[in-house]
Formats: sequence, structure tokens, C-alpha cells
Amino acid sequence: MKILLVEDTERVATFVCNGLREGGHAVDHADNGRDGLFLATTQTYDVMILDRMLPGGIDGLAIIAALRKTGNTTPILILSALAEVDDRINGLRAGGDDYLVKPFAFGELSARLEALARRARGNEAETTLAVADLRMDLLSRKVNRDGQPISLQPREFALLEYLMRHAGQVVTRTMLLENVWEYHFDPQTNVIDVHISKLRQKIDAPFGKPLLHTLRGVGYRLDAND
Amino acid sequence: MTRGIGLRLFRSTAVRLAIGYATVFVLSSLLLVGFLWWRTAAYLDREVNAVILADTRAIGDRLRDFGLLGAIEAINERVGRAEDARAIYLLTDPALTPLAGNLGAWPLDIGGETGWHQTRLTTRNQLHATRILYVALPSGFNLLVGRDVEDREAIRQAIVDALGWAAAVAAVLAIGGGLLVRRAVLGRVDAIHLTTEAIIHGDLSKRLPTRDSSDEFDRLAQTINRMLQQIEILVEGVRSSSNAVAHDLRTPLAELRGRLESLLRARPAPEATFGEIGEAVADLDRVIGVFNALLRLAEIDSGSRLSGFREVRLEEIAAEVAELYAPLAEDKGVAFRLDAGTGFAVEGDPFLLAQALGNLVDNAVKYCPAGGRVILGLARADDRRVVASVADTGPGIPDAEKTRVVERFYRGKASQGLPGVGLGLSLVAAVAHLHGGMLTLADADPGLLAQMTLPARP
Repeated sequence: MKILLVEDTERVATFVCNGLREGGHAVDHADNGRDGLFLATTQTYDVMILDRMLPGGIDGLAIIAALRKTGNTTPILILSALAEVDDRINGLRAGGDDYLVKPFAFGELSARLEALARRARGNEAETTLAVADLRMDLLSRKVNRDGQPISLQPREFALLEYLMRHAGQVVTRTMLLENVWEYHFDPQTNVIDVHISKLRQKIDAPFGKPLLHTLRGVGYRLDAND
Repeated sequence: MTRGIGLRLFRSTAVRLAIGYATVFVLSSLLLVGFLWWRTAAYLDREVNAVILADTRAIGDRLRDFGLLGAIEAINERVGRAEDARAIYLLTDPALTPLAGNLGAWPLDIGGETGWHQTRLTTRNQLHATRILYVALPSGFNLLVGRDVEDREAIRQAIVDALGWAAAVAAVLAIGGGLLVRRAVLGRVDAIHLTTEAIIHGDLSKRLPTRDSSDEFDRLAQTINRMLQQIEILVEGVRSSSNAVAHDLRTPLAELRGRLESLLRARPAPEATFGEIGEAVADLDRVIGVFNALLRLAEIDSGSRLSGFREVRLEEIAAEVAELYAPLAEDKGVAFRLDAGTGFAVEGDPFLLAQALGNLVDNAVKYCPAGGRVILGLARADDRRVVASVADTGPGIPDAEKTRVVERFYRGKASQGLPGVGLGLSLVAAVAHLHGGMLTLADADPGLLAQMTLPARP
């Protein structure tokens, strides 16, 4: 992917740039709002990471507003040290697609970027999803694997749908909590793990080859390959 | 110097109040005195004038109708009748020789000027105050008609004296009353002043003195005392949570520091190094978790979330929370049940309420042993209150710790060795408080019964 990073804190920028480049992405970096806006409007990116507060008179939200006004729909992830609910709502309302509070784990950032890019490319109008021999019919809301029907609770269905839409990608616990449950708080105990293991009992356990993988310290990945 | 003190005195509300009080009192007294004067002393004067004028007019009539002899006769009649011993008459020829009347000679004081005269004459063998009307008759004759007003003068003087005394007493009372008001006001104000001064210097336990009079000052004192109570709780909260923050952050930070330092010193093989770095990141995540929880509490405490309030159905939130946590209970072998009806509408922030209920359920499941039971229930306490309760069959909390576990970072004995930073119940309490409700902890016999009471939406 080609990624734009606008971030004025040098260490954070280096950490993010190195991580993304190791992951095989091409990264352009600007350390102020003016250069960031110039790059954002003159180049084409798959996804942009904008720090909310930037020097140079143009902050992250101003860049988003300028881009959206000209019809640029590139997915944007906002980085911010402001964690209050209103800050998050304002960021998303301004046209951001996702909001990540500093300090963050690199795995979280990278998983969210993949999800954003996928969503931009993806076809939301799909009616069936498939990963290996696991199939989901979004219209009849039926799931089967290897031809055998699997009965899921509504929330399990939503959880599996999210995992299948992001098949092959890492999804973090926070992403699942935000997108499947729409909660933006720390549930203290890792309840997500319990839900995943219940789901695993249904979609993996009876069928030799596991599809749902745990990535220690990061999250989960639904993938036909190990 | 004197001017400075005068200015400062005048700046005192109490002194201004006293001066204003005295002014109003004296002015109203003067008004009353003036009115009394007009109705009594002045009335007496007017009455005497009227009698004199009537006499003069009668004598004038006789003079016109019957000539000089008629006038003399009229005067003699009046003097002879002597029905009014205080009456004074004198008729003279142009040379001021008396022709009739009860005055022996023309009074020197009157001279040649006609009109009203106020003078002292010898009547009834004594020097008395008199009021005389001098009329010049045709052909140079002169007529004096008057009254001895010595008695009335005495009455008038008595009234004036009385009024003067009354005014003086009024002024004294006004000033005295003003000073009393000033002392009463200043006394209460000084009490407030002294107490607040002590509070500024750090003694937050001080309270304003209150009486049972429930007057304005008392109500003010009570309000201020309630405010002080709230401030004391907040300050105490800040103090104890700073201690707890220091402790809770110091522990993972100390571990982190030790880990990194021993890596630096020992320089182990890369594999071991990576393992240690992973542990260091986990330490840091704990620190970040504490920070996030604290910031969230601060956000709730600040009341900024009130803007996100809307009508929410507690039963829907409870159902979602139950759905999220049910597998956790199942996994641990704890029976979990949602016991809610419908119609629990409250005004609030759905996400905060979900987090609060989630924390309660999470706690209950955490402390409940396998084979136990956790019930999330909704009920109406009365018309105006809804109670969301979570009961477990765990060890419960000793009475002595019940109030303390809500405090920030406090971790009960039972929680030793379990994950968590000790902010879960604080968050529930803060959320309940934000919604105008409260969190109470009771015994479920066995186990803990946590109840979040919220105002119902009408």
C-alpha cells in the first residue's frame, strides 16, 4: 500500500514509518500540516494517517476538511492524544474514518490501516462471503462449512461476518469490540477472547483444519493458510 | 490616616447599612414630627387668628352701622361680658388716647404699623405673650384686637420641646439600631470570614457555625457547609488517589525499569532479550491502562458527557451487556442470568451505562467461584427510581471495606492476586453520580449485591 503519514513528533513518525516499511508499504512522511496537505492533494494514497494536532497552522482536521471538500475519499486514520468521547466524535464527524489514541501498539495501527484500505476497495454489496470451505450467506443469514450448516447466535454471526470481511488480515480485540459490539471502552477482562473461543468451537473444532488463528499480543486472523 | 479609616469604614457594608438605617429612621421621624406640629401648634395659631379676625369684623360692622359710639359700645360689651378673659381690645383716637378697651395705654411695641403683631403685654396684671391685630379705622382712629396666648404658647412650647426630644431619641435609636444591625451582621460575616480564612490555610474540616433559626444567614451557612463537604470529599479523593496512583504506577514502572536495567547490564542472548522486551511492553501497557482509566474517570467527573445524554432503555443496555459477558461466566462455570422486565427508561449516556453495568458484571464473575451464580437485574425502586443490581455468590465484601472499595485504586483483600487496577467500582460510582444516582453495596447473603440507583425518566 502507499501510505501518507503526517506526524510532527519525530520518534513516533520514525517508529510508524519503519514499521510500515518493514511490512512492505511505501510511506511518505510530512512533519507539518502544510506539507501534509500538499502531499495529500498532489499524490494518490491508499490510506492516510494524520496526527490531529500539527504545527504550521493547518491541523489534521483542517487537512481532512480540505480533502473531503474536493471529493477526495481516501480513507483517513486520525492519531490523537485527545481521548475524550467528544474528541473522537468530532474527528470522525470531520471526515476521518478511524480514530486511534496515542500511545498505541503498532499492531493496532497496522491492523486498522489494513481494515480501512480493505473497506475502501471492498464491495459492500456482496451477498456471500467465503474463506476456504467456510461460507456465509448474508441474505439468508446462513453459515456452513464443508457443506454442513452451522447454527450461530446473532452476535456470533456478526463477529464471524466481520472476521470474514477482513479474511487474511489481523483484527485486534479493540477493533472487534468497536465494530461488532460498538463499544468504545475497555471491558476489563478479555471477554472478546471468550467469544472467539466460543465461535471457534462452532466453526473450527468439528472440522480438522483451523481457520481462526490467534496472534499473540495482537489479535486474530481468519485465514485459509496457517 | 483618619480619612483612610473613614473610607474603609464606609466601605463596610454593615456601616453603610447602619448609616442608611439611621438616615431613613431620622427622616421618617422628622416627617412625623412636622405633621404633628402642623396639626397642633400651627392649628392653635390659626384658630386664634380666626377668632381675632371675627371680633375685628364685628366691631368694624358696628362702626360702619352706628358710628364711633357703636364701636365703643361693642368693645365695652365685649370687655364687660368677659366671657373670654384672654380677649384684648383697645380703641384710640388719632392721638392714640384710649377711648375704649381693656388696655390702659397704646403698647409701644406696636408702633404705627398695621397688621399682625406678636408681642408681650401686661394683661391680667402679668406680662403675657399676646397676638394682636392692628387696624387703622377711618378718620385716624385705631383699633387693636388681640388675645392673650400665654397658655397656648406654653402648649406650643411643650409640643415643640416634645417633638425635639422625640427627634433626638429617634436619632439615638436610629444610630444605636444601626450599630446593633451592624454588629449582628458583622458578627455573622466575621464568623464566615474566620472560617473561610482557616480553610484557605488548609484546615478543610472547619465548618461555619449554624443556628437552628434557618434565617438567611443560616441558610447561607448551611449551603456553604455543604459546598465545603463536597470540596473536602473531592480533595480527599484527589489526595488518596494520588497516593494510590503513585503506588499503582510505581509498581509497573519499577518492574519496567528493573527489567530494562538488568538487560543493559547482563546483555543476554537475543532470544532472551526479545522475551524481556515483550514483558517490558506488557508493563507499559499496564501503565497506559491505568492512565486511560484515570482519564476516563476525569472525563466522567467533569460532566462533559452530559451533552451526550438522551433517553435510553436500560433493559436494552442490560441485555447487550449480558450478551457480552455471558460467555465469560459460562467459561468460568458460573450460572449467569438476566432478570429484567421492560419499561426502564432513563436519561443518560448509553455507553457509560453499558460500561458501568459491564464493570459490575465483570467484577461479580471475577469474584464468584465456579458453581456460583450471578444475576443482573432491573427493578423499580419507586415511581422515580430505577435500580440496576448485580448479585453474586462470591465472598462478598466486609462491611468495613464496603465504602472503601468505591474509592479510587482501593483494592479489597479478596482482590489480591486478581487482575485489575482498582478503578472498576470507582467508575461505576462516577457514572451513577453523573446520572444523578448512586452506587450502594450490600450483602446478598452470601455474596455481594451491587445496586446502581438511577432516576427514572418520567
